[in-house]
Amino acid sequence: MASISSVPRRPAAYRGIGRSLLLTLPIALWSLLMFSRAFQQPDRAGWAGAIVVMLFMTFLFFMMMRTGTTYRWRRYFFVALGFLFPVGFIAALISVRGTMSIPIERMVAGDTPFCFMVIPMLIVPAALTRTIIFPGSILPTASNPHSIAVMIGLWLALSLVVGKAWCSYACFFGGIEEGFAAVARRPRIRRIDPRLRLVPWAMLIFIVALSAALFEPVYCTWFCPFKTVTEFARVRSIETAIQMGIFITLFVALVVVLPILTKKRTQCAFFCPFGAFQSLFNKINLFEIRFNRDKCVDCTLCQSACPTMAISADSVREGKTLLNCMKCGACVDVCKKDAAVWHLKGTRVALKPERARLLFLYGAWAMATMFGGSILGNSLATILHFLPWK
Amino acid sequence: MRARIFAVLAYTGAAITLVLAILVPFVLLGGFTGLVARAGLHVDASYSGGDIARVFDRNGYQVAVYRPVQPHFLQRVHPFVQIAFKPAHALPPRIDEEVDLDGDGRPDVRIVFAVPASPDAPLHGDVIALNGSYRSLANVGGDSFSELLVRTGDQILVRVPFRGASPRN
Repeated sequence: MASISSVPRRPAAYRGIGRSLLLTLPIALWSLLMFSRAFQQPDRAGWAGAIVVMLFMTFLFFMMMRTGTTYRWRRYFFVALGFLFPVGFIAALISVRGTMSIPIERMVAGDTPFCFMVIPMLIVPAALTRTIIFPGSILPTASNPHSIAVMIGLWLALSLVVGKAWCSYACFFGGIEEGFAAVARRPRIRRIDPRLRLVPWAMLIFIVALSAALFEPVYCTWFCPFKTVTEFARVRSIETAIQMGIFITLFVALVVVLPILTKKRTQCAFFCPFGAFQSLFNKINLFEIRFNRDKCVDCTLCQSACPTMAISADSVREGKTLLNCMKCGACVDVCKKDAAVWHLKGTRVALKPERARLLFLYGAWAMATMFGGSILGNSLATILHFLPWK
Repeated sequence: MRARIFAVLAYTGAAITLVLAILVPFVLLGGFTGLVARAGLHVDASYSGGDIARVFDRNGYQVAVYRPVQPHFLQRVHPFVQIAFKPAHALPPRIDEEVDLDGDGRPDVRIVFAVPASPDAPLHGDVIALNGSYRSLANVGGDSFSELLVRTGDQILVRVPFRGASPRN
């Protein structure tokens, strides 16, 4: 089985430096614009974080332009986001309340930061009773800037632009398992039952129905592996102890161990109900990956490289990916025959794939810089605050 | 010809997507946030405590009694009524008072707790039910959404569970 890092497809210099710089210029200006607010603050750690992230995001985009590859450079950003987000988040929790657990008085006060994972569970109760089944606040407050309206607004805006690519350019949880999936050179487990792809859809239906019936965000209270590295209800009963045990077990199994063994994003591919929900945006998003049947030799490299098993033999025969494709670019980068291509819906397949890639990447990277970049900047600033020489 | 029209539409759509991306931090984010905020949504009463039904003025502070909170469908929260003592900084060192929860002019519960000077100090107290509608609570703290005595900001919240089904008022 091919590893994405071991199969370079394009030559080291796909474009000249000058042309690559020119294509990177809009992203450099966008980064400057996005981080300009950090320079208005007196906090030097904030400045340092902003400068590092600005350069980081601009450099990665430059390398995408220079090499013509996407996956590897996106992965640097995404893994950094996955590992730095919990650092910044936990540090903020510890400094504000001294613990990662959220006490009941903070929930009652509406101080629980809103997480986009909750969104699918909110829909039915909100539609039927206009009730939000989450202990947050609708509008931002001094103690909870990550209010429900702000986070849903952000998710809506980003989803409109990047669609399912949220899962590979914005989700701060996905980066953790992508990091662990990159640890081993080769997968230890190669055969994975393709029917497991249906589990996220089953989970989605299950948690949406159960949340509507119980009027509580069931995924957050019982199943979210990422509670382990963010915040959780204080353990004060056997029930909360069991919940904590489930969180840790799922995190260790799906986010750490299985990604190392399979080199897949197992939590995203085989568990995450939000990812399944977000797949629906692939129906309306204009960008996709297609397979040029004239060039494809059915080598299955793309299927092996796909981190979420979003490509099957049947889908390749049809020239498409499956609905859960998150447009990470792994299959395009690994394809030796240039058969896997970026595509703009409505145009002819493989006519101008690089143009489609550029159009997609400008939107996706702009959103990654705005959302993930700001998280990276804040997390770096938090770390700098803890350094002794500050 | 058809292919050309589709291609023009596709590139127009891609250009619109890029414009939307640029507009996200300046217009779209605020617009969507405003839309959600104006959608008439409210946080479930089992978390927020619901709406205030009546307010009693005391000597320098107020006691707000909320409407009873009923669980939805299969919700696991026991029916309760929330009482807020506010502002917390104006409360006497010890609260020991009887409160009329259902508005019939007769006290329903007696609430007893000490008000610590530090806002971060844990709170514990007792609720003694004065009739069969409510459940007494001994040494209650931040136990569950339907049985609690906690400080949130500048108020102290008490939640008293109903013994059985609560009246809907």
